[in-house]
Order: sequence, then structure tokens, then C-alpha cells
Amino acid sequence: MSPNGKTRGGKVIPSNNLYTVILGLACGVVLATAVFVAYMCYFQYRTIFEIP
Amino acid sequence: MSTLTKILIVLLTISSIFLCGIVVTYVANADNYRQMYDDLKDERDAFEENVKGLTKQLNEKIGEKQRLEDKLNREIASLTIKIEQLQSQFKIVEAEKDDALRRVNSWAAIVRDFYETTDEHTQLLKNTLAEKIRLEAEQIKDRKELNELTTSLEEKMAIIVMLDEKTKRLLEDKAELQDRLDKYLQQIGKRAAELVPVTPKKAIARPVVPPARDIELKGLVTAVDLKNSMASISIGSADGVKEGMKFHVTRGDEFICVILIIDVDAEEAVGVLELIQKQPKAGDYISTNL
Repeated sequence: MSPNGKTRGGKVIPSNNLYTVILGLACGVVLATAVFVAYMCYFQYRTIFEIP
Repeated sequence: MSTLTKILIVLLTISSIFLCGIVVTYVANADNYRQMYDDLKDERDAFEENVKGLTKQLNEKIGEKQRLEDKLNREIASLTIKIEQLQSQFKIVEAEKDDALRRVNSWAAIVRDFYETTDEHTQLLKNTLAEKIRLEAEQIKDRKELNELTTSLEEKMAIIVMLDEKTKRLLEDKAELQDRLDKYLQQIGKRAAELVPVTPKKAIARPVVPPARDIELKGLVTAVDLKNSMASISIGSADGVKEGMKFHVTRGDEFICVILIIDVDAEEAVGVLELIQKQPKAGDYISTNL
């Protein structure tokens, strides 16, 4: 965590909401990509983790 | 928050978005190998089914072909036997045919000789008949001339007998007159001189050339064939009819037609009708001169 961060009652409180939003966007994009890849795998091969 | 952290956050976000975009693009454009596999599998199954069906049909055809081959082999064997039998029969028939041909040739030669002999005899018979007809005509003509000569000879013999009697009487008269003359001249002492005939001796008699006269033949039409424009007449070569003569056919005062003689027999002749004015019939008069 950033040395400039504030700790309030054991919870991490971001010091800047803008970069938090950017990180959230990056996580969302990765998650959406994972969901899309999982959907395509299941749609095409009827399985996600196994080799047909 | 330090500046480095901020830069890292931004770079992380940008790289995440970039990589996720690449992944999404790749996954979206990736081939559906399962679908392709299923399609190929279905196609292979269909091909296998076709192969099974074709193999079954091939087996059936092979069995049928084997049956047909066996059947044809049996038929070929039976036909081969028949061919051998027919060849033997053909040889026998060929020998019989040669024999028959030889006999036919010999019979043909015999028949040809027979026909030649028949033709020669027919020609000889025709010549003989023509000669007979000609001789009959000449005989009839000679007989007529003989009758005329006999009559003329009898007349001349009668004249000769009469002249002989006359000559005898004249000689008797001459002898009597000579006696009387001798007796008379003896009384006056003279003698009669040799007598010289006033009429000179005639030369040897020569045959007299007969005067020319017109041919005047007359007769009747005996038969008419209007279909072929032919007619026959009642006089023939014995009466003087010759080929090429023309006879005028009349009925009363009517002129009927002309007959041109083309064939002459002893007692009749046949000719072609020409210049037909009316239909001729048997019984019409014919003559060479109108």
C-alpha cells in the first residue's frame, strides 16, 4: 500500500479516488475478458477447463 | 500516493486494456474446431456408410458376376459341343454339295447338248418345211403349166394329124397329076422337068416369147384379226402370191382396205391391213387390180 494511505479502523482508505476508479476499470476489463473467454470456450467446446 | 504508483496504475490499466483487447480479438476470431470436427466426423460417417453400401453392392455384383460367369461357362461348353457337331455336319453337307454340283454340271452339259441338238433339228425342220412348201408351190405351178402344155400339145397333134392327112392327099394328087403329065408328054415326045418348090424351106423352129400380161389374182378374205391388224386370204404361192404384194379388199363397189402380204403359204397367205376405210371381214373380195 502507499505510504501516503490512511488506515481507519483496519480498512484501507484510498487517498485518491481517480486512480481507484482506473484500477477498478482495469479489473473490470480483465474480468469481462475472462467471462468472454469462458463463454466462448463453453459455447464452442461445451467445457471450460477440460480438453474435449 | 507516490507518482511512481500512479504511473504504474495507469500503465497497468493501459496494458490490461490492450492485452484484454488482443485476447478478445483472438478468441472472437478463433476457428470453431469442435464444429469443424463434428462436420468432418459427420462427413466421415456418411462416407463410411457409403463405403459399406458400396461394398455390399460390390459383393452382390461379384456374386452375380460369378453366377453369370458359371452360367456362361456352361453355355459356352454346350455351344462348343454344338459347334463341333455342326462342323462335322457342315463337312458332310459340303461333300454332298460338291457331289450335287458335279451332278448338276454334268446334267447342265447334257441339257445344253440336248438344247443344241433340238435347235439344230428345229432349224432343219423349218428349212425342210420351207423347202417342202416351195417345192409344193413349184409342183402345183409345174402341174398347171404341164396341163396347159398337154392341152396345147394335143391341139397341135390334132393339127399335125390333119396336116399329115392333107399332105398325103396332096402327094396322092401330085402322083396322079405326075402320071397324067408323063403320059401326056410321052405322046408328044417330051419329058417333065425337075420341080422347084415355090415356097422356100423354113428355118428351125424357135420358142416364141410369151406376151407380157398383167397379174390378176383374185380371192377371198378368210380370217381377220383386227386386234393385230392382220388378215389371211384364200390364195397362196401356188397361185402366184409373193411377199410384198398388195391386195385391194372390196365389198360390192366399196373399197374396204389394202392387205400387204408378209407371209405366204402354198394355199393361203397372211398380210397386214393398211388404208382401212371400213372394217374388213371374212368373205370380202380381194384382187391385185381394182
